Amino acid sequence: MNADAPAVHAFGLSRSFGTNRAVDGVDLTIPEGTIFGLLGPDGAGKSTLIRMLATVLAPDTGDAMIFGNSVTRAPDQVTPWIGYMSQNFSMYPDLSVAENLNFFATLRGVGREERGRRASRLMSAMGLAEFADRRARTLSGGMKQKLMLAATLMHQPDVLLLDEPTTGVDPVSRREFWRILAALHRDGKTVLVATPYMDEAERCTHLAFLSGGRISREGSPAEIKKVVPGTLFELATLHPRAVLAELAGTPDVLSAHLYGDVVRVLWTGDGRAERELTSRLVAANLPVTAIRPARVDMEAAFAYLTESERIREVTRP
Amino acid sequence: MKAALARVGAVAGKEVKHLLRDPRILAIVLILPVVQLLLFAYAISFDVKNVPTVVLDQDNTPASRHYVQTYRSSEFFDVLGSADDLAQVDRLFDQNRVRIAVIVPSGFARSIDAGEKAQVAVLTDGSEPNSAQLARAYATALNATYGQQVLIEWADRQGLNPARAGSIEPRLRTWYNPEGRSSNFLIPGLMVVIIMIVTVQQTAVTLVREREQGTAEQMTVSPLRRGELMVGKLLPWTLLAFADMLVIAVISIWVFGLPLRGSAGFLAVSSVVFVFAALGLGLIISAVAPSLETANISGLLIAFLPAFLLSGFAFPLDSIPVPLQWLSYAFPGRYMVAITRGVFLKGAGFPELWPQLAALAGYALVVLLASSVLYRRRST
Amino acid sequence: MSLHRIRLIMWKEFLQLRRDPLLLRLIFIMPIVQLIFFGYVVSADVRNLATAIVDLDKTAISRELEADFSGSGYFTIESYPQSEPELQPLLDRGEVRVAIVIPEGTQARLDRGEIAPVGIVVDGSDSRTAAVGSSYAAQIVARMNADRITQQGLALSGPGIDARVRVLFNPSLRAVNTMIPGLVAAILMLSVMAIMSQAVVRERESGTLEQMFVTPITRGEYLIGKVTPYVLLATLQMSVVALVGIFWFRVPFHGTVIEVAAGLGLFMVTVIGLGLLVSLASHTRQQAQQTVLFIMMPMMLLSGFIFPIESMPAALVPVTYLMPLTWAVLLLRGAFVKGVGFSAIVPELAVLAIFAVVIFSVALLATRRRLSE
Repeated sequence: MNADAPAVHAFGLSRSFGTNRAVDGVDLTIPEGTIFGLLGPDGAGKSTLIRMLATVLAPDTGDAMIFGNSVTRAPDQVTPWIGYMSQNFSMYPDLSVAENLNFFATLRGVGREERGRRASRLMSAMGLAEFADRRARTLSGGMKQKLMLAATLMHQPDVLLLDEPTTGVDPVSRREFWRILAALHRDGKTVLVATPYMDEAERCTHLAFLSGGRISREGSPAEIKKVVPGTLFELATLHPRAVLAELAGTPDVLSAHLYGDVVRVLWTGDGRAERELTSRLVAANLPVTAIRPARVDMEAAFAYLTESERIREVTRP
Repeated sequence: MKAALARVGAVAGKEVKHLLRDPRILAIVLILPVVQLLLFAYAISFDVKNVPTVVLDQDNTPASRHYVQTYRSSEFFDVLGSADDLAQVDRLFDQNRVRIAVIVPSGFARSIDAGEKAQVAVLTDGSEPNSAQLARAYATALNATYGQQVLIEWADRQGLNPARAGSIEPRLRTWYNPEGRSSNFLIPGLMVVIIMIVTVQQTAVTLVREREQGTAEQMTVSPLRRGELMVGKLLPWTLLAFADMLVIAVISIWVFGLPLRGSAGFLAVSSVVFVFAALGLGLIISAVAPSLETANISGLLIAFLPAFLLSGFAFPLDSIPVPLQWLSYAFPGRYMVAITRGVFLKGAGFPELWPQLAALAGYALVVLLASSVLYRRRST
Repeated sequence: MSLHRIRLIMWKEFLQLRRDPLLLRLIFIMPIVQLIFFGYVVSADVRNLATAIVDLDKTAISRELEADFSGSGYFTIESYPQSEPELQPLLDRGEVRVAIVIPEGTQARLDRGEIAPVGIVVDGSDSRTAAVGSSYAAQIVARMNADRITQQGLALSGPGIDARVRVLFNPSLRAVNTMIPGLVAAILMLSVMAIMSQAVVRERESGTLEQMFVTPITRGEYLIGKVTPYVLLATLQMSVVALVGIFWFRVPFHGTVIEVAAGLGLFMVTVIGLGLLVSLASHTRQQAQQTVLFIMMPMMLLSGFIFPIESMPAALVPVTYLMPLTWAVLLLRGAFVKGVGFSAIVPELAVLAIFAVVIFSVALLATRRRLSE
């Protein structure tokens, strides 16, 4: 291992499928020991990017180095470093949990005793122990994801490439999942995770926002949240939809959207937002029950970034 | 090296588990060949006997009845009855009730008494060319013999010594199959066909399924090499198919009385190599087929048809157009059929059949290499 | 019954077929390949048999024998072993299939007016070749004998039998003429069953079947829409085979198109029913394929279109008549080869109709029930 080399260093990665440019000239550096989150709307190219890094998909142009090993020229030297978890279920439906773990670990060169030990440890950590002999096809969605993660961890790779690993998993299991990831982080492992969940984005050390095949924003969660201009307010009202309709398109309101039963408004104007908004709405006969400032969280940042990217796409010459 | 063996073992072990957990496939692979052998060896043959025949005797004399009797006593013709007129004969042909009609016109006895040639017509249904050809030959032979006899009796009665011109008499000897049972001919080939059909279909889908299940990617990300993957996939199937061949051979010998005149050891070795080659062929399909349906239907084209038609199992290969003969060399069936026939019926072994074994071994290597090369671990 | 919805399903099927270009190409290649195979291999008439001559006499009669045999077109003289022991390995290795053994003193015996035996050895491990080869050999010798008699001016003025052996319906005895009609039916069967069962089961496997029944579509509409594209495809394939058969292989067609269409139509309904039953019984495409093969092999081998039914043991003959393919082959042969006219094929049509009704109804009921579960 090259001590100076970052865990992942990609440059100029591109990949098209027919006329669709899924990944368009991506440069990415993931330092060792980080939890790197990859965010972006559907179809942004996250899976494609991860698959190229995992050596499963060949890039059209560009290259990526995993600890100094090229994915295009030396993929067989890359794979010992990585564990890859795909978005779709990739275990054998007719083999049991234990058999699946055993099989992939054997392929990875884990010795027999180690296999047994690690398998039981991982299974209990993920709550799979009682399902050890169940056929994989009979597991629920969340269990399947956990099985896949366990299989990825069996050979203790230094770099984990996870493509939406918690989609379909219940909140409790998701928390367990992230506890495990945090433990790996403490051990110095590097994790790249594509996720649609904003609360998970908060737990990453670094983030990159992928849109239209390109990285449009990078930084720590705090840095990204700072990007969002204006202040965020939450309005509680009895007629959220009507309020939304009234506020959308108003000057100084950068964006407004429903969030459960409240309306979130991004206010870029001067002056006291609370007073301005309330008066406007009262004038429109839409009383406001409460209005208070909110912290810009990843959800809002994501929504803002997606919206501005979309506008940029549309107005791109 | 140890790691490589462990990987091959893991893949092979996994394949065994898949097999054991799908009882239907297991039943098909184990039982079907036996059922097919029993059914087909018993049912299909080229031996033609008891061909339905009708007689129209318009003469109705002792002489004509004596003539007709020779057909009745022949093993080949199965005289079902007499017709009343030609129209009925036509109808019987149209309805597929008879294949042969013997028509003795009136005046038959008179001609013979007058020392002339008596006319007789034999009609055969050409829509079954196999039996028609033989019927023609048998009828000709029967009439020649009968005519000879009539001549001799007449000459005796006249007190003449029939001019002896000397004649060649063909003495027929059938080697290897003196009983002339076509089952002896067909069964060795049938073995090969059955094995090819059942096994190639299985390997044809195996890699496609990995791709569809998503597990192929996980294998790509591991140190598993393509060659190891192919060998691991083939091993359990080779064993299974070999067991199949063994069972079929034993049944053929015990139940159908197929003689085993040659080297059983050579046959066993050849079987293993053949099975490997045939399965490898299926693996190639698997490596390149984009979908399961395509793999299945390609399997039909590549396993079923060539095994059935280009292996020489029932249809002799030296009578077919040359381009097709060349094509037959591209499939393992023809070599194995030559081996099984040679070992079972001709008492052959390594000295006579080593070229076929070498061809099979070469074939097995080529297909194994080809499938490894063609299988793409990474999507491009 | 909404025609619109049916058309929608048909459109979807065609679209899916188009997206898998390899499959599509296969669908069209299959009948062509089968035609070539069956047209050239199965119907290959026995000729050019590799022959050896062991000539221990070396006289004029030996040369005559050689000339007559090689001139017949059935035998190709490949080698001249000097003795029977030398002949053995040739037959063992399969280098020759027939051997003519002319013993010493043959010419002498003939000159004395005696019977001179000549050995005809055939490789019995290939019994079809053996039977046909030996009968050709016997015919050639018989002709030689007759020629000798006329040459020597000895007119046999006594009685005898003048047998006229005539072949009806297929005087050239070309096996292609009877194979191709049967092939049309066999291809229809294989095609429809294999491709249709794959498509239906694929939908089951992928779960889109469930999706479909949350929509207003009825089971009947679904079935019709699903099945029609494959029927159209199969009709296309059959027509290709028939046309290639008639124009390339020059198979005579004596019947009428209506008879053939009627018979094939009924047969097609039966086959669709069978395809549906296979789809229902299979959970995976794998199993469907195996089941189709399981049904096809016996049908093809026992229906009489390759191996004659007369040659089968009496106990099995009733079984062959229980197979729809057998009747389709009979009907097609009747129409192509025999030109027998409508009244003669009524029994086949009737039986095919019964099969069609029974099998299709069973399939329909089973499908409706299964789809409702």
